[in-house]
Amino acid sequence: MRRLPVLLACLLLSAAVTHAQSNAVGPNGTSLGAPGTVAIVGGKLLTVTHGTIENGVVVMSGGKIVAVGPAGTMKVPKGATVFDAKGMTVYPGLFDAETTLGLSEVASDQNNNDLLERSDEIEPNMHVTDAFHAETVRIPVQRINGVTNAIVAPAEGDSISGQDALIQLYGKDRDAMIVTPDIALAMSFDGAVRRRGGPGAGSGKFPSTRMGVASQLRQTFLDAQNYMTEQAAAAKPDHKGPAPKRDLKMEALIPYLKGEKPVVFGAYESYEVEVAMGIAQEFHLKVILNHVTHAQDVLDKIASYKVPVIVGSIYDAPEANERYDAVFSLPAELQKRGVKIALTSMNNNGPVSDSRNLPYAAGYAVAYGLPYDEALKAITLNPAEMFGVGDKLGSLDVGKTGNVVVANGDPLDVRTSVQQVWIGGVAIPMVSRQTMLRDEYEPLTHPAKQ
Amino acid sequence: MRDTLLEPLSRYCPSAPGGVALPVSSTNLRHRARLGTGLCLLLPCCIVSAQTAPPTDLVIKNATVMTASHGTIEHGSVWVHAGKIAEVGATVGAPADAVVIDATGKYLTPGIIDPHSHMALGDDINEATSPVTPSMMMIDAFDNKDAALYDALAAGVTSLLLLHGSANLIGGQAVVIKNKFGLPREQMLFPNAPRSIKFASGENPKRVYGSRDMLPSTRMGNFEVMRQSFEDARAYMATWSAYDAKVSKGDKDASAPKRDLKLEALSDILKGKLLVQIHCYRADEFLTEEAIAKEYGFKIRAFHHALEMYKVGDKIAPTGTAIATFADWWGFKDEAWDAIPWNAVMSMREGVRVALKSDSNDYVRRLNQEAGKMVHYGGATEDEAITMITLNPAWIMGVDDRVGSIDKGKDADLVIWNVDPLSTYARAEKVYIDGDLYFDSSLPGFGTTKFSGVMHTAGFSGADDEDGGVQ
Repeated sequence: MRRLPVLLACLLLSAAVTHAQSNAVGPNGTSLGAPGTVAIVGGKLLTVTHGTIENGVVVMSGGKIVAVGPAGTMKVPKGATVFDAKGMTVYPGLFDAETTLGLSEVASDQNNNDLLERSDEIEPNMHVTDAFHAETVRIPVQRINGVTNAIVAPAEGDSISGQDALIQLYGKDRDAMIVTPDIALAMSFDGAVRRRGGPGAGSGKFPSTRMGVASQLRQTFLDAQNYMTEQAAAAKPDHKGPAPKRDLKMEALIPYLKGEKPVVFGAYESYEVEVAMGIAQEFHLKVILNHVTHAQDVLDKIASYKVPVIVGSIYDAPEANERYDAVFSLPAELQKRGVKIALTSMNNNGPVSDSRNLPYAAGYAVAYGLPYDEALKAITLNPAEMFGVGDKLGSLDVGKTGNVVVANGDPLDVRTSVQQVWIGGVAIPMVSRQTMLRDEYEPLTHPAKQ
Repeated sequence: MRDTLLEPLSRYCPSAPGGVALPVSSTNLRHRARLGTGLCLLLPCCIVSAQTAPPTDLVIKNATVMTASHGTIEHGSVWVHAGKIAEVGATVGAPADAVVIDATGKYLTPGIIDPHSHMALGDDINEATSPVTPSMMMIDAFDNKDAALYDALAAGVTSLLLLHGSANLIGGQAVVIKNKFGLPREQMLFPNAPRSIKFASGENPKRVYGSRDMLPSTRMGNFEVMRQSFEDARAYMATWSAYDAKVSKGDKDASAPKRDLKLEALSDILKGKLLVQIHCYRADEFLTEEAIAKEYGFKIRAFHHALEMYKVGDKIAPTGTAIATFADWWGFKDEAWDAIPWNAVMSMREGVRVALKSDSNDYVRRLNQEAGKMVHYGGATEDEAITMITLNPAWIMGVDDRVGSIDKGKDADLVIWNVDPLSTYARAEKVYIDGDLYFDSSLPGFGTTKFSGVMHTAGFSGADDEDGGVQ
C-alpha cells in the first residue's frame, strides 16, 4: 500500500510530461495539442462555491468541467491526461471586471490605441469588439498568471463611452476570444467628462459643468425612451407610412433602458455616486457601480441601492487628509454591508491593463479586512454574476467552462507562481513574448548553458 | 532633539522664547504655524501635551528580523541606543530600563528606501526649458506637507531620493530625505547625504526638444548634447586651473573667471562629486552611457528604469553601475516594450547590484510587495528581495553606510510588519526613523506621531514615465 503513491506519482509524472510535449504553440499562442479529457489530481481545490477541498480532483472534458470532488470519491477517466497538482492550489480562472485588453498595445503610441472615442460625450454605439485586437502581445502576458476572462471596456472620459465585451484570454482569432459582445454599457459621471467646456473657461461648449453632464445624460435617455416608443409603434402591423430612420445611438441604449443588460456606472466621490444613482434610478437602469473610491461617507447608502460594485482601484490614493488605508479598506467595508463586490486590475497608473496583477489587488483587500473567500470571489464568481455569466464562469463546478489554474501556492500572494492554466479545457502554452525574451537571454544568467 | 527644534520654533513663531530649550513636538509647531503668531503666547500650554522624546534605549524583541545584510534571524531582537542600532541578534544586552516592544509573530526590516521618486516636488519636476540644467536643485521645490510622504511613511518607506524628471539629458540635483513626516523641511533632509544628479536618455528628451524643433530630436542628438556639455565643463575647469596656477605662483593681478552655476555643476560631475543617476531603458544606451562616462572620466552610480539590463548585465556588472528598476512595468512606451518582470533577478544573477524603486506615488505604498514579486519572477530568495528595497537603494543613494540594513552602528530606521513583508498581506505597523516612532497603525487618525494638521496633494501625483510622460 505504501508504495502505491510512489508508483502513482511516477505514472502521473510521465503523463504530465507527455502532456507537455503535445502542447506545441500554434497560431496566436494557441495549443496544437488536442483538448481531450484532463484530470487535475492531488491539489488543494479552492472551489469558490463549495469551500476548499484539500486533496481534490478536477476533470475537464469537451471544454467544460465535468467532475469536481475529493480524491477518494473520484475516478480519473480512462485516457485522461493527468496533471499532478500535489502540493499545489487549484482554482477557477480569474475574471478581471474591467480592462482595456486588446484596445492598446504600446500605451504611448496613438496609432495602436483605440481606448476611447473622444468626439462626443454620448457614444453608446461604440463597440469595443470593433477594435479588439485578438493578437495583442498583452493577452498572453496576463493569462499565464491565471487570468482567463476579462471585461474589455473603453477608457473613461465620456459620459457613455461605449459597450463592453466579455472575452476569454485565449483563442486563435477574435471570434474565438470574444465570449459576449456588448455585454454592458460603460458610463461615467465624473467631472473629467466636462472636457468640451473645460473646467472654468474653455471652449464655451456644452457641457462645461456637472449640471450640464447630468442634464445631457437625462436628455439622452429621454430621447432613447421616445425612440423606443416610436420604433415599437412603427413595428406594429397597423403602422402606416415609412419606417422611421434608425438611429444607432438611440438603438444602442434600448437594451439598457429595458434593464436587459447592466450599465457599469463610474463615480468616485460621494456626491457623484448619488447623482449617478439618481439618474440610473430615474431610468430604471440595471447598475453595476464602478469605483466609489472616495465615497466612504455614504457606504450605507450604497448598500441600500442593492447594486453590485466594482471597487476602486484599491490602490487609488486617498484624498489628502484621509487616513492612508481609506481606500485599501473599502472592499472590506462594502462587503461587510452586504454589497457584492468585484476588483479589477485597473489602477491610476494609466489606461493600459496589467491583469496579471489582479490577484494581488484581492490579496491587498484581505490585508485590510476582507475575508479571504470573499476576496477570491471578487475576482472570480462575483464579476461573473454581475455580468450575467455566473452559470458559466467563476467557480470549480460541474458544467462550467473549463477555465482552471494551478499555482504553487496561495493565488493571492505575490510570491506565488502559476504553473498551468486551462482555458476552455485546453492547457494553454505557458508562453508570452516576455517568457521568450527571458529564455533568449537566460544563457547570460547561466553561462554554463551556453 | 530639543535643540534642533529651536531654530524652526523661532522661525514659525517669532515671539517664542528662542533661547529656552523646550520639549516641543513638531506637531505643536505645525499647529502654531497654522494658527499664526498671535497664539504663540499659548505655547507653554501646548508643551504639556507634547509627546515625549524617544527612549534612549529601545528593544524590539522576538521578531523575525530580516537584516538585509546578513540574513534573517528568527526570534531575533534589536537594541536601539540613542537612535542607532546598538546590537542585533538572538539576544541583546540592552540595559534593564530599555523600552521593550514585544514583536512576537511580527517581522522586522530596515526602513524601505525608494531611490527614485518625484513626490513632494509639486509640479516642479522638470525644468524642461533646456536639455542641460545641472544647477537645478530639487530642494528648492521640496514640499514637506505632500500627502504622498505620509502614504509612503505608512508603507514603511523611511528614505527617498527625490529626483528631477527625465525631460533633460542632464537634469537637476536630487534631494535625499528621511521621511520624518511632520517635522520641518530642514529636519527631513538626510544629513550629509551625497549629492546626486539626474541624467536622462532615450525617448523623453528627444520628444520634449524634438517637438520644439530643437536639439536633440534623436538619440544621436541626445548623446552629442551630453558630450558637448562635458567639453564645455572641461574648458571651464581649464580656465579655473589656469587661474589657480597663476594665483599659486603669486600673481596678484590674476582675475578670477566668472562663476557659472551650470558649468560648475558639470565640472562637479567630472570631478566625481556627484552620484550620476541615469534614466535609461535600452541595452544599447547603457553601453553608450558607459562609454561616455569612461571617455570623460566619471562613474555612473545607477541606471534607473533599466528595463533591458537583462540583455547586457554581463557587460555592465564589471563597471559597478547599479540599477533601480521596476518590478513588472512594461509596454507604456516603445523603449519599455522589451521589459520583462524577470529583469531584476536576471540582472542580479549577472552580477549587477539591483534595487527596485517606485517612481510613483502609488507603487511607493507597496514596494515590499513589488519586492515579493521577485520571488515569483526569477526565484529570488527572500533575503535577496528585501535587499532590493533596502540596502541596494541605499547604496545607489550613497547612504548605505548609515541606512539600509539592520547592523550595529546604523541609523535605527526600522519597520515592524504584521506578517512577512514580501507577502501580499503585509502591513507596516510601526515605523521608526533614527529610533523614533513616526507611524503606528494602531493609533487613531493618521497614525502619525509627529504630524497632526493639514497635508495637501502636491501638483504631481502620478508616475514617472507612464504614457511617455517626462518625469
